Amino acid sequence: MKGVLVKDLYIARSNILVTIVSLVVLGFGLSFLLETSALLVLAPVAATTAAFISITSDAASKWNKNVITMPVSRNQIIGEKFLFYILLAALGLLTALIPCVVLACFGMDITLHSLCLYGSIGISATLLAGGISLPCAYLFDPEKSQIVFMMSFMASTGIITGLVLLINLVLSVKENILLAFGIVLIISVIWFFISYQIAVKVYQKRDIS
Amino acid sequence: MANAFMVSGLTKTYKDFVLDHVSFTVPSGSIVGLIGENGAGKSTTINAALGLIQKEDGVVSILDKEELDGDIKEQIGVVFDGSNYPEILSPRKLNRVMKNIYRTWDERVYFGLLKQFSLPCDKQIKQFSKGMKMKLAISAAFSHHSRLLILDEATSGLDPVVRDDILDMLLDFVQDEEHSILVSSHITSDLEKIADYIVFIHEGKVVFEKTKDELTERYGIIKCGAAQFDALDKSDIISYRKMDYEWQILVSDRERMQKKYPKALVVPATIDEIMLLYVKGEK
Repeated sequence: MKGVLVKDLYIARSNILVTIVSLVVLGFGLSFLLETSALLVLAPVAATTAAFISITSDAASKWNKNVITMPVSRNQIIGEKFLFYILLAALGLLTALIPCVVLACFGMDITLHSLCLYGSIGISATLLAGGISLPCAYLFDPEKSQIVFMMSFMASTGIITGLVLLINLVLSVKENILLAFGIVLIISVIWFFISYQIAVKVYQKRDIS
Repeated sequence: MANAFMVSGLTKTYKDFVLDHVSFTVPSGSIVGLIGENGAGKSTTINAALGLIQKEDGVVSILDKEELDGDIKEQIGVVFDGSNYPEILSPRKLNRVMKNIYRTWDERVYFGLLKQFSLPCDKQIKQFSKGMKMKLAISAAFSHHSRLLILDEATSGLDPVVRDDILDMLLDFVQDEEHSILVSSHITSDLEKIADYIVFIHEGKVVFEKTKDELTERYGIIKCGAAQFDALDKSDIISYRKMDYEWQILVSDRERMQKKYPKALVVPATIDEIMLLYVKGEK
């Protein structure tokens, strides 16, 4: 699996660098307009676009056909892509924290509460979107899966809104906002794991040619 | 170990094509050529054997194991038509990827082959010609001490000089009796040069599995007119074609036919001609 991850890092390297630089610049730039920690919502989502660049590249070069003949199982191929996605989301989150920490050191009002809130929203949106788009990348052709990829981010915001409204029926979200988004985060993690299991099952039986 | 590769009763059904109980073997230390026209089922056979597509029925045994696990895959080198490596990579980066995939990856062999093929180490694969990509794929297949090479139309679309280099490499590879090659191609002249056995697939079925020597040294074509054709014993005929000015009749023992029909012109048959007469001829 390590070799496949190295391959994906090579493919996504330039995209990752651009994302890191953009997020840092955007973080400092936004600080004059709005709360910098809000960048944590966008950062993980933006960083994971590199995963789809690697999926598109795999499809274009027919790498998937080649890698199955190598000592890498189908489970490992799927597992690597999901792991790569999580690593990119974590990288995006950490990158967005850089301007937050630097600005906090210079006295800007950035609270742990806001970091946790925006961070959990960002990670939830990313995991929900990935949970939709990653299995679809192995179900559909590259063109369709790119459409699904774009739609999945819209869908994830819709799902988060729906979940928050549902939670609001049980407890007041305004008064327990961190708890509410913590629950959303847990649901997103579970959804991402279920999605991984679905993708593994789908890919096991899929003909690659 | 008797056979490096064996398929028995391999079956796969598509809407418009059936791979119908395909069976053949690749004995250890030999090169087996899988021939057939485009769409005959060569690639489907290889894909099903390698687990790329789900087989409906049949048994596949590679290096004496029916389960294609990581240990077996370590010992197989597969080359498809096209390099099938991410084009953004360079051969040097590909080395870093492959050494993290194959336990037995030997970068000395890999870089040696790159040098032998004059392939630049730091140029992106997308800037390579088709021949260079194929040389790279073959270099990778040779760099993890494979015991079995499977090449699916790997020489198609290459110029004769590159093809000749690759064929020489394949012949070198089987000098070790533990090494074997299954090569599918519709360029039968390549297989005439290197193959020990020929397996002919037509419309998803194995038509024959014979030694190359039997095909090239025993098979023949009787070229005659209509009267002579009518006089032939039909049980001697494998298949025949009526051409503009003559009849061409495929026979399995040209020397016996020459003795039986002394007035007939009996010429040796190339694998191409045998394939053509099987596919286009009447029986």
